[in-house]
Amino acid sequence: MEDLIVKLKEEIIEVLNLEDVTPADIDENAALFGDGLGLDSIDALELIVLMEKNYGIKLKDPAEGKDIFKSVKVLADYIAAHRTK
Amino acid sequence: MSVYINSIQQISAQQPLSEDWFNEPIMHTEAYNRAIDVDYKQYLAPNVARRLGKILKRALVVSKKAMEESGVAQPEAIITGTGLGCIENTEIFLEKLVREGEELLNPTYFMQSTHNTISSLIAIDAKCHSYNNTYAHSGISFECALQDAFIQLETGKIKNALVGAHDEMTPVYFGILKKSGYLGKANQHFAGETAVAMMLSTKKSERALCSIDGVEKMYTGGKELEGVRGVKKLLSDVDYVMIGTNGVDEHDAVYFDNCAQLFSGIPLLQYKNIFGEGYTMPALGVYAAATCLHKGEIPNHLFLGEKNTKKFRKILCYNQFEGKNHTFVLLSR
Repeated sequence: MEDLIVKLKEEIIEVLNLEDVTPADIDENAALFGDGLGLDSIDALELIVLMEKNYGIKLKDPAEGKDIFKSVKVLADYIAAHRTK
Repeated sequence: MSVYINSIQQISAQQPLSEDWFNEPIMHTEAYNRAIDVDYKQYLAPNVARRLGKILKRALVVSKKAMEESGVAQPEAIITGTGLGCIENTEIFLEKLVREGEELLNPTYFMQSTHNTISSLIAIDAKCHSYNNTYAHSGISFECALQDAFIQLETGKIKNALVGAHDEMTPVYFGILKKSGYLGKANQHFAGETAVAMMLSTKKSERALCSIDGVEKMYTGGKELEGVRGVKKLLSDVDYVMIGTNGVDEHDAVYFDNCAQLFSGIPLLQYKNIFGEGYTMPALGVYAAATCLHKGEIPNHLFLGEKNTKKFRKILCYNQFEGKNHTFVLLSR
């Protein structure tokens, strides 16, 4: 799980172009949206694309994202349980 | 009603956000040169800049600087001219479209691949809900935007307007334009990029560069310009004509023939030798002319032919695109 969390942090930094942010800067339990990393709705769309492209997970209901994208740790748990690649 | 250029800023192949080009121009020798970027972190917050392509960062910075220098935080109109729009993001989007088999496309590149992204981004940043428009008319895009603002200002519909001219030139697009014969010809001035923003106002500020006395554009279909209605009223007491010669004989011949007919004996100035060629380069011609009027002098490298030291008050900027579209912008001190 630790490897997946680190990999996920790297992918998030790359796909969201988080300049000057390193994986170590991201608290895996901190909120991704709002106060934590401060991501927005466009970032949510990018994360949905990332999940499908890299892990074969297709979110049927976008509203599910609200729970899945709570933090990097929650996202990693969801990916570990549902990934198809 | 008079219209003034109260502030103007540029990012181009010359020193960005600077007038250093006036005394120490960078003379490029390559056929293709990208604009010299500034450190955008000094001007844009990381969360604002992280999604933006180069053209958007440049447009936002020159616009913010022009607004700041004019003291206008929320313009009554934001009008942009762009020949290619956000071509770099368009290329990335299309490449992904092909590579991913039209599935799993990143939304950011799609959203920022349109021409009107530039004007809308500036409006969002300035929290400005007023008139917002974009002209994508290839080689006369800037003048279309300028004329829109000029008419609205002159008729009293608005009191100020932010007018921009923005284009980026990617290696891929340069290659296409080179193959098509538009750029990269022998002796042609280099292909460049444009980011120009100017605040226009009916109220002259202390730092105003000059006034805009007229903006005309016309389509002649390749016929002679002489006698065309609308041009002659701009010709009284013109001291210099700033033209867009680019070093290609057949292209420049259109300028020289029309200038011989319309502006016989009036000294000619150039700007593409230092700023390069591109769809919205005429904005840098207006920028150069406005700077000369403000400083009251003309540097040697802008003269086409012998240097002239006469006093001057009016510069007419004349641009032609493919010998068919002609635009005239009259500036005066």
